[in-house]
Amino acid sequence: MGMDEQNGQPVISVTDLVKEYRGGVRAVDGVTFEVRRGENFGFLGPNGAGKTTTILTLITLLRPTSGRAVVCGHDVVAEPDRVRLRIGYVSQDIAVDDTLTGEENLYLQGRLYHLDRETIARRSREVLEMVDLTARARDLVMTYSGGMRKRLDIAGGLIHRPEVLFLDEPTLGLDVQTRRRIWDYIRLLREREGITVFMTTHYMEEADQLCDRIAIMDHGRIVAIGTPSELKAGIGGDLLTVDITTGRRGTRDGGVQPDGDGGLQDLLLTVPGIKQASRASDGRWVLVADRGEEAAPAVLEAVGRHGLRVNYLAMKKPTLDDVFLHYTGRQLREDEGQEDFSRRRTGLRRARM
Amino acid sequence: MNSTARSTATLLSDTWWVAWREIKRFQRQKVRIVMILVQPFIWLALMGNMFERMAHVPGFPADSYLDYMAPGVVTMVTLFGGIFGGMSIVWDRRLGYLNKLLAAPIARSAVVSGKMLAVGLQTAMQVAIIFVIAMLMGVSFRTGPLGALMVILLAVLLSLVFAGISLSFSAVITSHEALMAVVNFMTMPLMFTSNAMMPLSFMPSWLQTIAKLNPLSYAINPMRSLFLTGWNVQELLTGVVVLALAGLALGLVATCLFRRSLA
Ligand SMILES: Nc1ncnc2c1ncn2[C@@H]1O[C@H](COP(=O)(O)OP(=O)(O)OP(=O)(O)O)[C@@H](O)[C@H]1O
Ligand SMILES: [Mg+2]
Repeated sequence: MGMDEQNGQPVISVTDLVKEYRGGVRAVDGVTFEVRRGENFGFLGPNGAGKTTTILTLITLLRPTSGRAVVCGHDVVAEPDRVRLRIGYVSQDIAVDDTLTGEENLYLQGRLYHLDRETIARRSREVLEMVDLTARARDLVMTYSGGMRKRLDIAGGLIHRPEVLFLDEPTLGLDVQTRRRIWDYIRLLREREGITVFMTTHYMEEADQLCDRIAIMDHGRIVAIGTPSELKAGIGGDLLTVDITTGRRGTRDGGVQPDGDGGLQDLLLTVPGIKQASRASDGRWVLVADRGEEAAPAVLEAVGRHGLRVNYLAMKKPTLDDVFLHYTGRQLREDEGQEDFSRRRTGLRRARM
Repeated sequence: MNSTARSTATLLSDTWWVAWREIKRFQRQKVRIVMILVQPFIWLALMGNMFERMAHVPGFPADSYLDYMAPGVVTMVTLFGGIFGGMSIVWDRRLGYLNKLLAAPIARSAVVSGKMLAVGLQTAMQVAIIFVIAMLMGVSFRTGPLGALMVILLAVLLSLVFAGISLSFSAVITSHEALMAVVNFMTMPLMFTSNAMMPLSFMPSWLQTIAKLNPLSYAINPMRSLFLTGWNVQELLTGVVVLALAGLALGLVATCLFRRSLA
């Protein structure tokens, strides 16, 4: 994540942002955060959390009800034109024109950003190569698959070398393989172009894999913010599940068997790295450790030294799902959005005939 | 001054690139192009034949109904072209393309003016085609090539008026179906309460009153003179000025409504 001096400046700075739609829906309910230069920042939240609304405010398409947002040094309300010049936006819908070719889509996009013909030609080649669409550039987008369209859309958002790229649900409704390829492009983007990326997603794995820092959003509010490991650390550490049999056996090197549950708990807590120990209803012990992979052998060793036997031991790194559950009391449902999305698309296709 | 000039140049180029997309789209839609060629032919042949005998009624202002009908066909095609051209923005909204346009550093008014420019260019082309077809079918035309240019000019301005109207509605009504309903509610009465198909003197008096107020007459009357009788400069000038001002005003209204719908 090596952020040097010039990196690390805030490129996006949002204070108490509120957006209430006509009709009274408070889609964004007072969020405050900063995104540093060169960072990949992610908004993670379920459907309706207010992710898209936040993005639309930051890219000057929605006027905030209250609060302030500064992007690339310019206030989004006071100087929307200056903001728009310096950002790229790839929407949640796949917004490419399917009656044009891939190349023409990029050409138009370049012209809308006031680039000249030569610059567009050069940049088109670069971004098309990056998303592996060079061979299909001259074909009508109508003949592209969904994943190819999305890649073209992302390429379009890059044509003018934006300082910040806003990606709203970049892999929504795509299959696992295509999703992984898009992740690769997003990583490549930062390596090659040094762009700051602001993205939203409701796939926790995606946020985990791609983002330097994540804001978890629910009902228009940010409930937690930090690096993926910070967030996971926030719920205590790694989780160890251990099943221990208190057999009547002699102890090695003259150790004494612990006395009952209380004694066993005390013993477990003396193991280096173990922060919490509690007995679950099924009789197993649930331990929270800073670093599970180091604590696990230590637990085995300590338990063995006291003449006890471990029947079962499992270690689990907490996922962002556990984090989300911890802060909101609900699980992030992974399948919901996809279903929504395909329904929306087929609906449109039909209507368009 | 310098910066005004620069922003005007930017507005013009932004307008052109928004229109460029519509023109490209148009070129790709073969069916649409075929329809544009076939439609005026059908209108002229069918209507001309159906109402041919009307021209024999005493007091009919032309020698043949076809001669009378030609400017009516121009108006009708222009009306629909303008209305539907403006409605394309509802699709852009649905498909997310509108947000892409608005997120770009183009002037917001360029989205409206670009659509209007595309409509205007398409109308010019369509009307030129109607001209050729009408001439081939033996329609008489009194005022020569310059007159033909004036007909095209009037048609283009009229199409801008209707593009402005439909863009304004599109800014407010976001559902395609509702917009269709409103537009149909508007266009049909406009068409049939005008003298596009039938001379004023053939209408009941209440309809005559409406037809005289109908904005379409600012295009139809000067066109018909150019076709049937010859130069009537004052009528022509009035038509051009009124339509140009109306087009401009409606473009501005659409831009304002559009800006407001975003907040
Ligand atoms: N144009 C609108 N008018 C009124 N309410 C809206 C509008 N757009 C969104 N909302 C509401 O605002 C809330 C947040 O919506 P938003 O689209 O920002 O969520 P999201 O986090 O992007 O969800 P998703 O994952 O489904 O894309 C929702 O309750 C939604 O119903
Ligand atoms: Mg969204």
